[in-house]
Amino acid sequence: MSDQASDLLKDYQAMAQQSWDAWTHYLQQHASMAQPFGQTAWGAPFGAGEDVLTRSMAAMKGYGEWLQGAVGSGLGQGTGDWQQSLQQLFASLGGQPFAHAFASIDSEAARSFTQMWQAWLQAGQSGLAGAHFDVEHMAAFGFTRERQLQQQALAAAMQAYLESAGKYQALIQRANTEGFERLQAKLTELTNSQRQVDSLKALYDLWVDGAEEAYAQIALSEEFRRAYGDMVNAQSRVRELKQQMLDAACRELGMPTRGEVSALGKRLQELRREVRAGTSPAASEEITALRAEVAALKRELAGKAAPGKPATKKPAPRSSKRAETEKEAVVRRAKPAAAVVARKSVVRGATRTRK
Amino acid sequence: MFPPFRLDPAALLGEISAFQRKLSAGVGNLAHQPEPEYANTPREAVYREDKLTLWHMKGQGKPTAKTPTLVVYALVNTVWMTDLQADRSLVRNLLEQGEDIYLLDWGYPDGADRWLTLDDYINGYLDRCVDAVRKAAGVDAVNLLGICQGGTFSLCYAATHGDKVKNLITMVTPVDFQTPDNMLSAWAREVDVDRFVETMGNIPAELLNWVYLTLKPVRLNQQKYVGLVDILDNPKELQNFLRMERWIFDSPDQAGEAFREFIKEFYQHNKLIKGEVMIGDKPVDLGMITHPVLNIFAEQDHLVPPDASRALGRHVGTTDYTQLAFKGGHIGIYVSSRAQREVPPAIHQWLSTRN
Repeated sequence: MSDQASDLLKDYQAMAQQSWDAWTHYLQQHASMAQPFGQTAWGAPFGAGEDVLTRSMAAMKGYGEWLQGAVGSGLGQGTGDWQQSLQQLFASLGGQPFAHAFASIDSEAARSFTQMWQAWLQAGQSGLAGAHFDVEHMAAFGFTRERQLQQQALAAAMQAYLESAGKYQALIQRANTEGFERLQAKLTELTNSQRQVDSLKALYDLWVDGAEEAYAQIALSEEFRRAYGDMVNAQSRVRELKQQMLDAACRELGMPTRGEVSALGKRLQELRREVRAGTSPAASEEITALRAEVAALKRELAGKAAPGKPATKKPAPRSSKRAETEKEAVVRRAKPAAAVVARKSVVRGATRTRK
Repeated sequence: MFPPFRLDPAALLGEISAFQRKLSAGVGNLAHQPEPEYANTPREAVYREDKLTLWHMKGQGKPTAKTPTLVVYALVNTVWMTDLQADRSLVRNLLEQGEDIYLLDWGYPDGADRWLTLDDYINGYLDRCVDAVRKAAGVDAVNLLGICQGGTFSLCYAATHGDKVKNLITMVTPVDFQTPDNMLSAWAREVDVDRFVETMGNIPAELLNWVYLTLKPVRLNQQKYVGLVDILDNPKELQNFLRMERWIFDSPDQAGEAFREFIKEFYQHNKLIKGEVMIGDKPVDLGMITHPVLNIFAEQDHLVPPDASRALGRHVGTTDYTQLAFKGGHIGIYVSSRAQREVPPAIHQWLSTRN
């Protein structure tokens, strides 16, 4: 029986290997199609072939390996201590059979973030290579004083980020551990009932339930909330400092900086709001009312300026033109902003021509 | 006392062999899958501005409803969740019931949209879309169907532009942003969102998607893909799975300023239920919503906990308030077969007695 099982396991392993090879081949093809220009100049933080491959396969591969380990563990076979078998199974896989589901929880993007900034930080400090002293805490002076301060701030921020990410990861590890404990508790509950786990998939699903419950409890805690906020804020601080350094470099090269482009975008958006507000129905109504009031005042003034003359006197031709122009202006006012701006340009041009 | 396992060695080997066989065979099926299409219900663009498009959805026959319904989706993900596939389409289902449906498709913001505010979105884009629907349908007021964050927007809009709204439907809409089980809210609470947005600009969709995945990391990063192996040999199921993957991951970035405001005012300070939200110069008082309100939420919603939505009943000013609890999750409420049977008919029935 044991020889038969051993043969089956060998057959299975051979089949599993073929299967993974096929998947690897498939995913590599697609990854290369997704990267027509190959690796990016940024060390490919996103979407590089290997990374895509790893991420796409991780879930199924992790599960496949766990299945394989479960068969070899003797779990559920014989009358031995099931708790011990379960622990052995999980221990044989490093104690965290699905570590990747949690381990990469701060995202591949965040990992790339760390790698990228560390690389840049090292590049920035390369000028100090060979210096055997605490660069981060050196007093800054001389022509490069400001740059030294920037480098020091960046190094400190990077260190703060790594520390906060470490605290966050510690909580994730706790969730992993407590998830397993919950699985044990769920299985213990089953011993008091007539229900039994009859497949590895059922055992896996039970573990997922336990893991998610443990994680949810931790993720909703005050401690996690602070750790999460600290990590995000520390990352933002690193990004902020690096952007300041990049902006300085852009200024030296006469290139527009991120801050300048952002400021232009903000002003443009404000201008769009002002233009829209000026052409809104409410604004048009107000302008129409004001124009009517001005026209009435003008008529009243015209009447006072010519005492003794009949009130029904035909207005001067020039006034008629003005009245017509005003009427036309009111009508045109309802046109879109672009049309108004265009018309204003024409009027300005005409004024200059007259001069 | 019973042992918790009943694992027969031969059955275990059979189980893992079956897993590997499905996996091996599945490679070929994945290799020949076309890009999954959404339902693509016939539609006509009736208004466009910047990145947004207002679609008038076309059913088989003419709508019998007198008042058109504008669907206001969230800024995260895309409105096509409501028209995902032919047999799982909220839109199609509502059209078949005789409703006249318009969809607000926000589009994909880029750097030019970095400074768009909630004022721009709600008092600007949304208001102009409502006007476009009113004009197209020849009515004074429309029904609003707000989904998730779009529901929150619809509440703000109805409270400040009440004369243009006839009936209000909210689906999985957060109102109280700080219920104890709201994981997103807990995580957002300690984040320095000013610095975060200042350094990120627009918020990348990939980052947000990762945050959503980490709400249930093992279930969404692994268990889901282990389950995929079981449907690799079923072309229809595989297409459905891939279609959902497309919807989940083909999502827009968030305009930085609007994101900052939303996190700060709603998540961090929970101002909506305090009556302290200002959208531009308009104070939002939920007590001003005196329209009939239908509030639909999902009992297993991990993104917007049911209590976050239930709170609406305590704060809204209307005397005609109806609440509908759906047995499902945040996504299942649109695409599950139960949802097709229950949700659109409930919406239609509720509307038909109020139009």
